[in-house]
Amino acid sequence: MNVIVIGLSHHSSPVELRERFAFADAKIPGALKSLRESGIANEAVILSTCNRVEIYVATPLEPARAFMQLKQFLVTAHACDAALGDELYTLAEPQSLQHLFKVACGLDSMVLGETEILGQLKKAYDLAFQYKHTGARLNKAFQRAFHVAKHVRTETNIQRGSVSVASVAVELAEKIFNSLADRDVLVIGAGETSEKTARALLSRGARSIIVANRSHDRAVALAGELGGRAVPFDDWAGEFQKIDIAISSTSAPHHILDRAKLEPLMKLRHHRPLLLIDIAVPRDIDPEVNFLENVYLYNIDDLQAIADDYLRLRQEEIARCEQIIAEKVKALLGYTRQEMVGDVVRVACCVKNPVKIEGV
Amino acid sequence: MAWFTDRHFFLLAVLVYGVSTVYSVFLWRRGFRRDDHVNYFLLLAAFALHTIAMFKRGFSINQCPVNNLYEATIFIAWAIVAAYLVVGLLPRLRFLGAFASPVLFAIGVFALMPALDPPRGPKPEFSGALTSLHAATIMLAYGAFGLGAVAAGMFLTQQHDLKFHKLRAVLSLLPPIQRLEIVASRLVLVGLVLFTIGLEAGRFLPRPEGVSYWQDAKVVWSILMWLIYLGLLVMRRLFPQSSRRFASGVIGAFAFLLLTFWGTNLLSTLHHP
Repeated sequence: MNVIVIGLSHHSSPVELRERFAFADAKIPGALKSLRESGIANEAVILSTCNRVEIYVATPLEPARAFMQLKQFLVTAHACDAALGDELYTLAEPQSLQHLFKVACGLDSMVLGETEILGQLKKAYDLAFQYKHTGARLNKAFQRAFHVAKHVRTETNIQRGSVSVASVAVELAEKIFNSLADRDVLVIGAGETSEKTARALLSRGARSIIVANRSHDRAVALAGELGGRAVPFDDWAGEFQKIDIAISSTSAPHHILDRAKLEPLMKLRHHRPLLLIDIAVPRDIDPEVNFLENVYLYNIDDLQAIADDYLRLRQEEIARCEQIIAEKVKALLGYTRQEMVGDVVRVACCVKNPVKIEGV
Repeated sequence: MAWFTDRHFFLLAVLVYGVSTVYSVFLWRRGFRRDDHVNYFLLLAAFALHTIAMFKRGFSINQCPVNNLYEATIFIAWAIVAAYLVVGLLPRLRFLGAFASPVLFAIGVFALMPALDPPRGPKPEFSGALTSLHAATIMLAYGAFGLGAVAAGMFLTQQHDLKFHKLRAVLSLLPPIQRLEIVASRLVLVGLVLFTIGLEAGRFLPRPEGVSYWQDAKVVWSILMWLIYLGLLVMRRLFPQSSRRFASGVIGAFAFLLLTFWGTNLLSTLHHP
């Protein structure tokens, strides 16, 4: 019995196509059941996320025949008349197992090395397992995939560091402040990136968020979403006494904060460390302020450069990860063959020496 | 094994400090991207050898081994590594070892110079419980000052990397700068308390006829050191903006201590009769 995979992902197809073939969580058990009843698969797992739709099956059919039937199943299940060509990939052993391991490790993800996919894969497997649509082959393959993902995470730097501006800002804050738990954050200008950064800081324990925006209504709305408070835009400087991190993203054509303005504010704050994140273009904060003691200023390019460096480091790790995966797939296939040989031997023994059951 | 003296054990400890120093350079070159439990265990091994060396010396003279420059120097190094092994139990502060090992190696090599450990006379130069208390607390204070200087060095490194947007600042496993500053100042405070106890104990020690404390180079130097460290803590309290200056001051004060400790000892009629 072969483990094969058929699917669409962000590598092969646009979101417009992926969304047409996506499976809602509630419909997956039914889809798995019909897959098994149709005889295409003895075991099956469906993984459906925003970036991929994949069906993993252990099938008694020849791979070519199974792929054809799975493709038909996909089209029928979604009542979709779209012609599927190169968008659909089909992999048989050992590539199917390599692909599963790569997906688990985040090597096939849009953000290289991200960990969210591992949780999604576990959820997909748990759902199939719960409805008894998995057996020895897929149980072994998925459990090994989770193990490999953990191994790769600890043995390589594939998941090291942050590759988004918001998470780099959080990392910087953690390198400056003893703890984020008692830190107050000021958001000047309620842009998308500043909102993401503020959310990331809150998720890591920041105490409170203060929002100042030219449109006060927008400030109130964002503060409400983040559980913080809004202040009038002209009053943001008055908050400097309390805050520890400021994220600025206004559309002002000039610097809204310069050295002359910040120096007296630092005195009011008793020179506690201050992290300034300037994600506005043109910049909101005069670079000169970085020369002040206990002030750490990062603009969008600085943050992006760190994120890019992290990504480069992750890319350098791909070869190591692939080597680990190749070894693990080889070991899994070797194990499976041994197990199959073991089963044959056991069956042969039973035939040669049938167990006598008392009373029969 | 009688030929294997306490100095041999200390030599082995210094060799392990050397290995740790080489490993620390490797960690530094790699941008402190790995948890250095290897370095922690190297320093633990060196500490064990170092402790055996001190015990052997202590048992051979039947008192705390702080009777000459060699013994005083190895006591300072022992206090630094002991303090590190305690602080290093916290994973985020374990990197202190990478900064401490070069200091320990340098002190160790210096201490091994034969002139610092002359053949012992018929009687120990100092004796008594109060003398041991005086010497031990002062040496432990030097250890705390030394480790404080190491934390201050880490602070300056990390602060520089953060100011100049080096990737190393986020890649490294160094603790946050605020914590490093707190650790450095607390170590200086602990050192100052121990130093005060040691100096106070010294006031009650007998002194030769006609020798005034105020004319003794070591006593004057010790009071100067005490004032320097007190000044650093007071300045930090009064001028919180000068974290970098405080860290530089802690490093400078310990460098001054190391460079002048042996000279003032030789000039002291009380400590080097």
